[in-house]
Amino acid sequence: MTGALTWARLSFRQQRWELILVALGVAGTAVAMLYFAFTLDGMRAASPDCLRDLEANVFTDSGPPAACQAVLTAYYDAYNWGTNLANVAWLAPFGIGVILGAPLVAREIDGGTAQLAWSLSPSRVGWLVRRIAFVSLFGAALLAVLAVTSALLTAAMFPELKLSEDFIYFGRRDLPVVARGAGAIMLGVLVGAVIGRVLPAVLASALVIGLAFLGLSLGEDRWNASEATLQRFQETPGGSMSFDMTALAVAYGMETADGEFITYSEANERGMNPHIADENGGWYASEEDLQAGRLLGYDARLSIPGQRYPELVLRHSALAAALGMLALGLTAIVVVRRRPV
Amino acid sequence: MTDMLETHDLAKRYRRGVWALAGIDLAIPQGGITALVGPNAAGKSTLIKTWVGFERPTRGSVRVAGIDPWRDRSAALGKLGYVPQSPSLYDGLSVEDHLDLARQLRPGFDREYARDRLAQLDIPADRGARELSGGQQAQVALALALGTRAPVLLLDEPLASLDPLARREFLHVLTDAVRSDGATALLSSHIVTDVEQSCDRLIVLGVGKVLLHDTVTGALGAHAISLTQRADAVASFAAPDGSRISLVRGTADRPATLDEVVLGYLASGRPSSVAAA
Repeated sequence: MTGALTWARLSFRQQRWELILVALGVAGTAVAMLYFAFTLDGMRAASPDCLRDLEANVFTDSGPPAACQAVLTAYYDAYNWGTNLANVAWLAPFGIGVILGAPLVAREIDGGTAQLAWSLSPSRVGWLVRRIAFVSLFGAALLAVLAVTSALLTAAMFPELKLSEDFIYFGRRDLPVVARGAGAIMLGVLVGAVIGRVLPAVLASALVIGLAFLGLSLGEDRWNASEATLQRFQETPGGSMSFDMTALAVAYGMETADGEFITYSEANERGMNPHIADENGGWYASEEDLQAGRLLGYDARLSIPGQRYPELVLRHSALAAALGMLALGLTAIVVVRRRPV
Repeated sequence: MTDMLETHDLAKRYRRGVWALAGIDLAIPQGGITALVGPNAAGKSTLIKTWVGFERPTRGSVRVAGIDPWRDRSAALGKLGYVPQSPSLYDGLSVEDHLDLARQLRPGFDREYARDRLAQLDIPADRGARELSGGQQAQVALALALGTRAPVLLLDEPLASLDPLARREFLHVLTDAVRSDGATALLSSHIVTDVEQSCDRLIVLGVGKVLLHDTVTGALGAHAISLTQRADAVASFAAPDGSRISLVRGTADRPATLDEVVLGYLASGRPSSVAAA
C-alpha cells in the first residue's frame, strides 16, 4: 500500500500540470452541470403551471401565456446551457486522452528520462503498466464524476423520461464517458510512444483519437443496423406525429408499400423521388400523386428500442475499453522495441 | 578472471547507413574502472547502449556478466547501473523523489547507500532536480546507478559538461564506490587527464574500431615519444609547441604521457591488433 501511494505521488509530480488542468476543467464542468440541474429542477418547482408538460399545455396554437414568457425564457436559457454542458461531457474523454495520454511516454523520451527509467526497471512493460496505471485511474475517476453529474443534468433536463430505458444523450452520460476516456488515454499514450516528442504527439493524438473513435462509431452503426427494428411514425400524447424518441436511431428513410425499409437516398436511386409528405408521414413523388393517393411509402426509421439502453451502454463501453487495451498492447510493443531517445 | 563486459564481432549500422561500430571484440575483466576514450562519433555511446540494451547489434553479440541483453534484457539490466550522457533527471521531482522512484523501479535498490553518497556531497535531498547544478545532477545520476549495487556500471560521458572541480568530485565518488564494492565500471570520456588518475584500463575507440585496449600502466610502459620521425611509429602528430613527434612502441627519447598515447592511436587509426601485438 505504501509503495502504491509512493508511486501515485511520484506519478502525480511527473505530470502535475496536465493533471491539475484536467481536474480543474472537470471540476468546473461538473459544478456547472449540478448548478443547471438544480436550476431547472427549481424552476419547475417554482412555476409548475408554466413548465408542466410544455408540449401539451404551453406550446398550443395560441402560444404560451403571457405570464409564463419570462419563466420560459429563463428555463430555456438554462436548458441550452445544459445542452452545451452535455456536449462537453461528450468531448471531454477525447480531450483528456490527448492531454493526459499523449505526453505520458513522449515526455520521457523527449526529456531523456526514459534512459534512466528503462535502465533502472528490469521490465519496460512493467514500467509502462505502472506509469499508465495512475494516470488512467486519475482520468477515469474524473470522468466518472463527469458521467454522474451529466446523468443528473440529463435527468433535470428531461424529467419525464426514464433514463435507464432511453437513448437520450447516449454517450454523454453514464459508463460510456469513462470507457471512452480510458480508451482515448491509451491511444494518446500509444501515439506519444511512437512519436517520442510531446507537442507533435499531442497534435497527432488528437487526430488519431478522433479517427479511431469515428471508426468505432461506424462499426457500431453497422452492428446496430443488423439488430435494429423498423419504426414508423406514431402519435404522441400531444397529438402530433413523431418517432419513439426513447429509441436509438440507426437510419432514417421510409417503409415502402410492400413493407421494405429504404433510406431516402436509396429511394432516389430507385427513381422514386419522394418530394411531398402528408401529415401522417406518407411520401409522394408529386402534388398530383398526393391528390391521387399514389403513396410511395411512410416515414420510417431503423432503431433500437430504449429498453436495450443498458445493454448498448455496456457494449459500447466494452468496445471502447477493448480499443484502449489494443492500444496498450501496441504501446507495450513500441516501448519494448524502441530506443529511449 | 570473469569477463563482465564482452563483445564479439560487434557491428552497428544506423538506418542512414552509417556504421557506428565495425566489428568490435572486447572483453573487460571484473573489477576496476575502464576508460573508453575516443573522439565524437567514435561509437562510444553506441557501444555502451548495446550493453544496456538500448541499441540492437546489426551483427555480432554483446554480453553483460555472461548475459545477452537482447535475449534476456531483464537479467542483464539486473547486473547494470547506467549513467546516461546527460543526467536525464525528472524536472518535477526532488532528489529524494528520484531515490524513491529508483526504489520503486529497481528491486533491491539501496536507497540509504545512495542517500549517504549524496549527503557526503551536501546535495540537499529535498531540492528539485531542475534547481541542481550540472555537477550535482551528474552526482544524483551516479548515486542512482550506485544505489542499484549492480556489479557493472556503465557511464556514458558523464563528465562532458562538468567543470574541473565537479569532474574531480564525480571521479572521486566513482573510484571510491568501485574500489569498496568491487564493481566493474566503464567510463566513456574524451578528457584523458581525468581518466589517467582514476582508471585502471584504457580502450581507445576510433571510427567504430578498437585502436588500443590495455591497462593504463601497460599502455604507458609500452610506449614512448620520439622527437624525430620514425618509420616504425604508431603515428606522428603535432606537439603543443607545433613540432612533429612520434608515438612508438618500446623506448625512445622520453616516456609518453597517456594523452600522447591516446592521441597517437587516434591519429593512427590502426586496428586493435596493433596494440595487442
